[in-house]
Amino acid sequence: MSALFAASVGALPLQLAELFTFDALSSVLFDALSKAAVYAMLAMGLTLIFGLMGVLNFAHGSLTMLGAYLGGLVMVVLVTGATGPWTRLAFFFVGLVVVFGLLSALGATLEVGLIRPLYDRPPIYQILLTFGITLVIDELVRIVVLFYGLQPITEWQEALGTKPYFLGQQLVLGPVSVGGMDLFEMLLGAATVAAVWAFLTRTRYGLVVRAGSEDAEMTEALGIDVRRVFTTVFALGVGLAGVAGMLLMWDNNWGASVPLATETLLPAFVVVIIGGLGTFRGTVVAAVIVGFADALAQWLFVNSVVDFPPLPQLTVFLILVVMLVIRPQGLFGRAEVGGH
Amino acid sequence: MSSSDAPADDTSGVDTTTETDGETDSGAGTPADPLLAVEGVHSYYGESHILEGVSLDVNEGEVVALIGRNGVGKTTTLRSILQLTPPREGHVHYRGEDLVGLGTNEVAQRGVGWIPEDRRVFSALTVEENVRISVPKGGDVDAAVARVYETFPALEERRNAEAGALSGGQQQMLAIARGLVGENDLLLIDEPSEGLAPQIVADVADAIADASREATVLLVEQNLPLALDLADRFYVLDNGQVVATGDTDDVSADDDDLRGYLTA
Amino acid sequence: MTETEATTEESWLVRYGREHVPHLLVIAFLALYPGLYTLAVGLSLPAPLGWVPDLLYAVLPRVDTMIVVLYFGLFAMSFDFVSGYTGYLSFGHAVFFGTGAYTVVLAANGLLPFVPSGTPFLLLLVLAGLLAVALAFAIGAVSFRLSGVYFAMITLGVSQVVYVFVRDWDYVGPNPKDGISVSFDLHPGAFEIGVPFVDALGLGIGKLTGDTLAIAGLELSTVEVSYYCIGLVVLVCYFAMQRVIHSPFGKVMLAIRENEERARAVGYDTYRYKLVAFAVSAFFAAVAGGLFAGYSRAVSPDETFFFLVTGDALLVSIIGGFGTLAGPLFGTWFDELLREFLSKEGTGGGLLPFLQEYLPQSVLDAVILNGMTVGEAVDTFLNGHASLYLGLLFVLFVLFVPNGLLGTVRERAGGRVSKRVAARLRSRGGTETARGTASEDD
Repeated sequence: MSALFAASVGALPLQLAELFTFDALSSVLFDALSKAAVYAMLAMGLTLIFGLMGVLNFAHGSLTMLGAYLGGLVMVVLVTGATGPWTRLAFFFVGLVVVFGLLSALGATLEVGLIRPLYDRPPIYQILLTFGITLVIDELVRIVVLFYGLQPITEWQEALGTKPYFLGQQLVLGPVSVGGMDLFEMLLGAATVAAVWAFLTRTRYGLVVRAGSEDAEMTEALGIDVRRVFTTVFALGVGLAGVAGMLLMWDNNWGASVPLATETLLPAFVVVIIGGLGTFRGTVVAAVIVGFADALAQWLFVNSVVDFPPLPQLTVFLILVVMLVIRPQGLFGRAEVGGH
Repeated sequence: MSSSDAPADDTSGVDTTTETDGETDSGAGTPADPLLAVEGVHSYYGESHILEGVSLDVNEGEVVALIGRNGVGKTTTLRSILQLTPPREGHVHYRGEDLVGLGTNEVAQRGVGWIPEDRRVFSALTVEENVRISVPKGGDVDAAVARVYETFPALEERRNAEAGALSGGQQQMLAIARGLVGENDLLLIDEPSEGLAPQIVADVADAIADASREATVLLVEQNLPLALDLADRFYVLDNGQVVATGDTDDVSADDDDLRGYLTA
Repeated sequence: MTETEATTEESWLVRYGREHVPHLLVIAFLALYPGLYTLAVGLSLPAPLGWVPDLLYAVLPRVDTMIVVLYFGLFAMSFDFVSGYTGYLSFGHAVFFGTGAYTVVLAANGLLPFVPSGTPFLLLLVLAGLLAVALAFAIGAVSFRLSGVYFAMITLGVSQVVYVFVRDWDYVGPNPKDGISVSFDLHPGAFEIGVPFVDALGLGIGKLTGDTLAIAGLELSTVEVSYYCIGLVVLVCYFAMQRVIHSPFGKVMLAIRENEERARAVGYDTYRYKLVAFAVSAFFAAVAGGLFAGYSRAVSPDETFFFLVTGDALLVSIIGGFGTLAGPLFGTWFDELLREFLSKEGTGGGLLPFLQEYLPQSVLDAVILNGMTVGEAVDTFLNGHASLYLGLLFVLFVLFVPNGLLGTVRERAGGRVSKRVAARLRSRGGTETARGTASEDD
């Protein structure tokens, strides 16, 4: 068996064989996990909202972007050159709370003021409305950012600079080395997933959210004010978008910028659809799958096994298309497609 | 209920009512006000007119059956009481209060429980979670769960299974259990025997009979013998209107007039 | 031909003309637009009204911008054709626009197999349309198994795949991210609209490469010639789509939007109808893309395949009237008007130059808040930020005017405008009693 394996590996191009070395595997693995964590954080809020109320929130990316800027603002205000790395990390969590609070409040306002009047219209109108919100948020942010003399299309360097030095380094943990930011993303992602998971399964409110996601009418008939739950979950979902944005504000690959809105919206959609719209478990699994596919494609390209520039970017969407062709309801979606 | 010229067969217990719209005299001859009084309700799905002035009363402690062919508006009547399909005209008085204009959750909080057609258990939740979520805010959840398991031992065996994995009969038991732990005074039960094997139907009938000792019941049922067996009184619905009413003791399941209403 | 036949013929024509009065009015307005624009801008009025021409200059879109209105309006109409009439939101519609645009440029550069560089432009447009039809059948075959949000998402997903692919595919040009342009070596001439292969019966489009024309003492610039040529193609496409909408096929499209279950229950194979509607709309989207490429001679992935291009079509469709065919064109007109009015550069008039000319410098320099002057405020919050106001307007329209401009006008008028006007004209022509017209007016 192992001989067979060795033989087949030997038959592959030399570069591909390099993948099966400890260093390559561990670097792809860590890259994949950190990507998965980011994807999960981007998509979680979207899937909660869709699961409960069937609203595909097109403004999710813009709210992530808003979170990135607000988070960056908190950091830039609090951090000075003399601030130590651990204090910076502590400030980050202060910022996280602030961003989550502000964006949740914004989310609740949007739901009550704009989305609630549309529940009895065809679902298309909710897409339209949230798309409109995107236009407004993006342009408002662009105005404010320009006003303060920043370039809206490039990452906010000053905010990136508030990162503790060790997150910008490779950390050596025994035999493996992992990027500090990658590790931070994995930990924060895992913690957020765990927190939302606990909320959904361990609290009465979470029980109500899961019941309402399956059958809002029946839940209402049990004496539960589902409309109020809608507002809470919309607020929570938007808050999570903001938290994801705050994290990306420190990531050199993303950074706070106006285009972050579309850059994060599309992968979030992909992950949510692959997992099955509205299933939390599916979203987490899909985030891992997409993270791994993305990391692998990246590695293949960087190591020039394949000479096709669009490959890494294409991978994410190709998974989506393949998924929709063979299993439109997604990994964990219920069979009746388009029920919402 | 005003009873008009009875059909030729005067031995029949079926009163044919002519009442079609708003005007009611709630329970002439009944000393107390009815628990539930549906008065001239008109309801629509989109533009289709489903209920064209339905009026009926349910007194405290009664089991009242609502019978009729498919598509005559029985389920819509229950939905209109619950305000899931809010009536465009008419009133639904419950303990003297008009429910029209309230939210469904507010109706439920007043003690109106719903055991819907097709059960509608939360299939992704476990059996126990289905029970727990049905206990009203501030209620003793653990006691309620213990009581359910006492009444339905089969549910305890599968307490951690997803409700979607249960058999049809078990799902119906769970739906009834959900109605029971809701501390409801009025249960609206829709087609509980539908799609179940005869032996299971007997169990479900027992469960409903038990439930009716704790709550007033308005029962929609196609199975005529079962409906007459469980209920004290009945209403027949046809084309969105009440066309007949009577005591179940006065009719039998092979009554020709009654059967006439149930077959096309 | 007998006398009676001749009269019926005539009355048919008259009736047709009556029913199309709104069309004729709009077409006449668009046809006269370049002239009106020149007149309005060049107007010199006596002292108290001297500001009027300048205001018109500031507000009215330039003819150059009106060309954008025409081809992008066509794209928006094609988007609305499938999305507004069948209720299936085609969120990846940009893929067809891009297909059209890239077909024209690639063919001109000799990069399209079997298509010589000199292929007449109109044939290229048809070819682009057919390629889009093929693509639409492929995408639709999969997508129409789904509905609602899922349909929107799968079409979006496919278009993004193509977008990323084209953006990084170096076959199309040396720097695919920034786009490609028509090579002047390979294709020096302008793209011509006219009779294929007959040079004398075609006019070149394009700002720099297009033809000028002098007829009846009128001098038409390259931009104006392009405007009329592109307008002609858009007009033909509009009437073609209008025919489909008003045919039995169009009725089925509407039935699908209103209640697909019922449409299926009465025996329509709705899957096939949706697929064909999708293909038809893809065809015209590609023609629109082709016109864009033909006029500008340069295309980039971000202005063709990117999903925000579909977003723009959505925006103008909602403002103009979702589910009305001409609505998106009016929406595009409004969109471009506002963008030009609030443009950063102040090209074609615009708000800032107008204010600078008519407000005293002291007002512009007045400080309103924290040292910000009026001029700076206009510059910060208005210029270059038309998207903000369009976005706000869009949200308001979704909430309060879901039928859009044209849809609302129709609703108020109680029926399609054309029918309504025709009825009114008939009643005028017939029994012209005061009562008759009065009852028409409410």
